[in-house]
Amino acid sequence: MVLLIFYPAAQSIVRTLTIDVDGQPGLSLSRYTAFFRDPISVANLMFTFQITILVLVVMFIVCFPLSIYLRFASGRIASAVQVLVLFPLFVPGIILCYALIRFLGSHGTLESILTGVGFSGYRTPYLKPNAIIFALVWESIPFTVLILTAGLRQVSNELIECARDVGANNWHIFTRIILPLIKRPVLIVFSLSFLGIFGSYTVPYLLGPASPQMMGVFMQQTFGQYRRPDDAETQAVITFLICSFVGFLYVRTVVSQRQTQREDE
Amino acid sequence: MKLRSLFLLASLLILGVVSVHAQDRKPIYVYTDSDTNISDWWTNTVKPAFEAEYPEYEIVQTIVRGVGGGVGDIANRALAALETGDDPQVDFIESINVESNADWLANDLWLEVTEENVPNIVNVVAATNRLPQEVPYRGSQVLLAYNSDLVAEDEVPTTYAELIQWIKDHPGQFVYNRPDRGGSGAAMVTRAIFEVTGQDPSLFVPGEFDEDLVAQFPKAWDLLGSIHSSIYEEGAYPAGNTPVLELLANGSVSMITAWSDQALQAINLGVLPESTKLAQLTDLPFTGGYSYGAIPANSTNVEGAVALANFLLTPEIQVAVVEQLGGFPVVSWETLPPELQEQYTSVITDVVPTWPGGDYGAAMVEGWYNNVATNIDRSS
Repeated sequence: MVLLIFYPAAQSIVRTLTIDVDGQPGLSLSRYTAFFRDPISVANLMFTFQITILVLVVMFIVCFPLSIYLRFASGRIASAVQVLVLFPLFVPGIILCYALIRFLGSHGTLESILTGVGFSGYRTPYLKPNAIIFALVWESIPFTVLILTAGLRQVSNELIECARDVGANNWHIFTRIILPLIKRPVLIVFSLSFLGIFGSYTVPYLLGPASPQMMGVFMQQTFGQYRRPDDAETQAVITFLICSFVGFLYVRTVVSQRQTQREDE
Repeated sequence: MKLRSLFLLASLLILGVVSVHAQDRKPIYVYTDSDTNISDWWTNTVKPAFEAEYPEYEIVQTIVRGVGGGVGDIANRALAALETGDDPQVDFIESINVESNADWLANDLWLEVTEENVPNIVNVVAATNRLPQEVPYRGSQVLLAYNSDLVAEDEVPTTYAELIQWIKDHPGQFVYNRPDRGGSGAAMVTRAIFEVTGQDPSLFVPGEFDEDLVAQFPKAWDLLGSIHSSIYEEGAYPAGNTPVLELLANGSVSMITAWSDQALQAINLGVLPESTKLAQLTDLPFTGGYSYGAIPANSTNVEGAVALANFLLTPEIQVAVVEQLGGFPVVSWETLPPELQEQYTSVITDVVPTWPGGDYGAAMVEGWYNNVATNIDRSS
C-alpha cells in the first residue's frame, strides 16, 4: 500500500511543487496559483463540491426514512423494500447511465408517463447537473441504507419505548435519541460517500453537461485530450488533498469507535 | 497452358468431391481489433465468401480488441520475429496505421502492395491516399442525418453556412457530440475550423503545428458559439456518437451529424426510423477516413494474404462494405452496380477531407471546451 499509493502520491505532490508552470525546476506554487487563477478550473472544482454536497443532502433525505422503516418494520413488504433498496448494488454504473438516458431523456419513459397523465412541459435533466445528482443518489442508496440500518439496530427497542412512555413524539425520538446514537455510522457514510462522489467519473461523464465538469472528468480530459499531464497532475493533487481531509475524518471516526469499544470492555 | 487449366480443373474437382478438412487448408492468420460490427462481418461475410472462392485457404481470425495494444502488439511480435527469422504467426492485419511505429517502416516490416501481387489495387481511388504498404478496403465519412418527416427535402442544408443558418432557425432541433467523444461531433467542429481557414483541409498537415492556423481557431469558436444556444436543450452535447443517434431515433432532434456506417447500419436494423435520410455538404464535405489492412513481409503465407487483399477489393466485397457495413467503398463508385449508386446519390463524394489529429486535435478539443461548451470567459 505504501509502495502503490503513498509513494506515487508523495512523488506527485513534490513534483507539482518543485517544477513550475513553465517546466522550470525550483520550489514554487505557480502551478497551484495557475489552477486557482483559471476561471474554468475553479468553476469545475466548485461544481464538483456543489454536486457532492447536493448528492449527500438528497441521499440522507432519501435514506433516513428508508433505514428507519427497514429497522422497525417487518413482514413481506419490508423484505420487498429491502431487496429493492439493495438492487442498485448489482447494477454496473455504465448500465445505470444508459438506462437513465432512456428513462429521463427527452421522449423517454418518464416523459411518456407524465404526458399520459396530462402533464406537459417536462424538461429533461439529461446532460444537466440534475441527472448527475439523480444517478449518484440512486447509486449510493444501498450502501447508505446498509450502514444506517446496521447503526439503527444498535438502538434498542426498550430505549424508544421508554421515551414514548414519557410522552416523546416521533420527531423527538429521532432527533434526541436515534440521531445522537447513530452519529458514527452517519459520519462513516458521509465520508465514504463523499470520496466516491467527489471522484466519480462514469456518471458525470455520460449524464452530465460538457461544461462545467466534475474533477474526475476534467482530469481525464486534461490528461488525455488536452495533452497536459502537468496540469492534470496539479488537479489530481488538489483532488487528493481534499479527499484525504475527508478520509482523515473517516479514520478518526473509526479509531474513536475502537477506543470506546475497548473502554466498554 | 492447356495442361495447366486441365490440372486446375482436376484439382477443383478433387477439392469438390473430397470434402476438404480444415487441416488440409493453408491457414491465413488474420488479426483485428476493430469494433464488433467489423469482426462479425469478417466472420459472417468475408470468411465464407473468400473460402468459397479459394478453397485451398482458411481464414483464422483472431480478435485482439481491447487486449493490450491490440494489433499494434501483433505487429511488434511480427517485428521481433522478423529479427530472429521466426514465424510471425500473422499473415494479414485487418486495419492498422502502418506508420504508427517508426521501427516498422524502418525495418521494412510490411509487404509493399503493387499491381503485381494485388492486381485490384489499381481500382483504389486516390482519395484513400495510401502508402505502398497499405491495402485500404473500407471507408466511412461523417454526414448529416435528418428526419425527413420533419425536414423538407428543399430545406436540407447543402453548405456549412446554410447548416449554421438552419440550426439558428430551428432551435433545439440539431445536436452533435463533444468533439473528443466521437468522430461525428468532431467533424462538426473541424468543419467549422475548415470553414474559417478558407475551406482548404490540405493546409492541415499531420505532425507540423502551424501557429498561424491555430491563431484562426477563435473564429471557429465564434461560429460554433453562435449556435450554442440553438443546440438541443440550449447547448447539451452528448458524450458519444451513439447517444446522438439515439436523440435522432427518439425524435428529440430532427438533424444530427453521424458516421455513414453507423447511420446506415442503424437504419438497416430499424434503430433509426425509415424516414431517416442522409445528406452530405456540397461545398466541402465533412471529414472521413479509410481503414487500411497490411501484410507482414515475413508472413509464411504471403500468397494467401495477397489473395485475400485482392479479394477485399473485388466488387463483391466492396458492395458488401456499402450494403452490410454501411461503409464507403475504396474503389470508384462507378465500378459498383448503378442501383447502389442511385441509392446513395445524396452522400456520394470523391472528396474525403481528413483531420490531422495530434497537436491540432488537442488544440481543437481544448478550444472547443473552453470557448464553445462553456460561457465562462477565460480571459476575464
